[in-house]
Amino acid sequence: MIAIVARQQVRTLRRQHVLAVTMVTFVAMTAAAGAIGWSSHNTIVRVHDDATTLLAADGRPAPPNPFELVPPLAQLSNLAIYVPLIGSLVALIIGHLSIADDQETGIGRLIFSRRLRRSSYLAGKLHGTAAVIGVALAASWIVSIVSLTLTNGSLPGSGQLARLAAFEVASWLYLMVFVLIGITTALATSRRSLGLLSGIGVWLVITFALPQFTSGLRPTTSLNPVTDPVSTSQTFFQITANARPISISEQYRALSAYLLGTATGGTATEAWLRILPIVAALVLLTGAAWWLVARHDFSRGSTDA
Amino acid sequence: MPSTGPLITLARHEYRAAVRSRVLLGLIAVAVVTAAASVYIGAVDYRSQLADYTAYVNAATANGVGQVAPLPLQPLSLLRGAIEYLEIIGAVIGITIGYLSITRERTSGTLPLLRSRPVSNTQLTTGSALGALAIIATIVAVTATVTILSIGIIANTWVTGEQILKLTLAYLAATIYIATFYCLGVITTARSKFAVNGLLVALGIWLCVVLVLPQIGDTLDPDNQVPGGLFAALTLDKAHEEQILSHFGTYETVRTTIENASFEKHFERFAFAMTDVKDKYRGFTLGQLLDETRVNLIWLAIYPTALVALLYRTTRRQPTFNPGDSP
Repeated sequence: MIAIVARQQVRTLRRQHVLAVTMVTFVAMTAAAGAIGWSSHNTIVRVHDDATTLLAADGRPAPPNPFELVPPLAQLSNLAIYVPLIGSLVALIIGHLSIADDQETGIGRLIFSRRLRRSSYLAGKLHGTAAVIGVALAASWIVSIVSLTLTNGSLPGSGQLARLAAFEVASWLYLMVFVLIGITTALATSRRSLGLLSGIGVWLVITFALPQFTSGLRPTTSLNPVTDPVSTSQTFFQITANARPISISEQYRALSAYLLGTATGGTATEAWLRILPIVAALVLLTGAAWWLVARHDFSRGSTDA
Repeated sequence: MPSTGPLITLARHEYRAAVRSRVLLGLIAVAVVTAAASVYIGAVDYRSQLADYTAYVNAATANGVGQVAPLPLQPLSLLRGAIEYLEIIGAVIGITIGYLSITRERTSGTLPLLRSRPVSNTQLTTGSALGALAIIATIVAVTATVTILSIGIIANTWVTGEQILKLTLAYLAATIYIATFYCLGVITTARSKFAVNGLLVALGIWLCVVLVLPQIGDTLDPDNQVPGGLFAALTLDKAHEEQILSHFGTYETVRTTIENASFEKHFERFAFAMTDVKDKYRGFTLGQLLDETRVNLIWLAIYPTALVALLYRTTRRQPTFNPGDSP
């Protein structure tokens, strides 16, 4: 039954063109990150050439090699911004639609007229949405490789391919958190708009408010893949920094920075440990969704406004 | 009945209905709390730097030093985080007010009732827009009061008369900025058969205008390519930096064009100029500031005017009844 629900979910998302929109969004944001990376690459080369000439004229030594400053995968560093910014909103909407549409169209009522356990229903929904997100990220991985090949003139090495794949897996886990936020807010609210806007409220808190609270990152600073470490000498931050593990967008960005080579410090173990809060959020939200789906009245349709 | 009577009644109806919405109140709470928190964080740091400066002045005076360096801090710049939250969350609030305004009338069936009274489509739109403008102004006023009080109480610095005038202009711009997104929310929702699709379209536009376009412009900035700044990493001073950037004319034109396409960027530049966020504006008179930001002011007028025109065009075409409307 889980497979049937999952297949029905994927089919519904395909019929509503949500699958196509998701694919196009992920491919476009990866291509945009690649184009920005390519542009940055050229800019750095030109600035370095100009700097070498200027400093030589002043009798000063040549500046450090810019490619020691910017590793190859850093060309895709904007992806670490687009996934939590755009990808997570798309994931939230997919999660929301997976429940809200069943309520609105009456499929929820129909589906539970058959022998189907609530947990199987939820598992099917999660399998279906996870597959959609997974396919979109696989497409993003391929576009990343094409983008790097075009910029560097050669295929990325096996280590770089593995790092890119690990980045996509980390992104998939992070996005599934937002699918589950979409599902739980849709299940917890009686009105469709209330569910969607509550989900967006949670997204705003995770993406912008928590990083400011725990690390002093201003909202627009959170949008730049290259940020200077924020001073945490203030007593306020010495206290709130303890809550940094719950700021999953920061954890995701730090892990992404390690995988894409833009991190300014820290060990591999420290970087990989950052996946734990994301997994913990997934487990907690799955538990919440399971609790809510078990108590939800699918005979009652949702209303708007 | 005077001609303004129906408008005031409709505006009051819109205001009351918006205040009753739990979703809206939740978003407003997020906006006010995050803005206040951002000011609090900056103000604590400001207070400690102010204490250091006072100690330095006292020590210099005790040692007979005649001239001391002026205070390098600008209290209004503490509002930077609050303004950024108004840019992001304020725009979502604007869209939400617009979306709820349309869906409320559709689902509650009040539109046919309103139409049974002698009110025109234009009056309906204007009345609702005035109500929305009043709620937006209230939100901005609450945020402004909370953040200015935070600066005074936490940073021990109270704003002066001229600063109040500059802040008033910045928050007036914020009201217009959020109201523009209200128009967007109404337009996309009213044009969609399924209201939630209209909301999604508005959020998609919001994402591009408020987050993606400015982000692309920022990340294309040559100095933002490496942590600490590319020019610092290449051991270049300001003069060398300017000399090199003069070779990037076309690149800079493309970058600034991308940024200028964003309505949010124009609001941000104006608000930052009014709140001393940017060093280059420090010491400018209000007249000079307005002159420096005139292009931003023009765009701040063009976008809302276009959206308001589209709002009237959209609502004029709205049917009186929506019998087949779906959520």
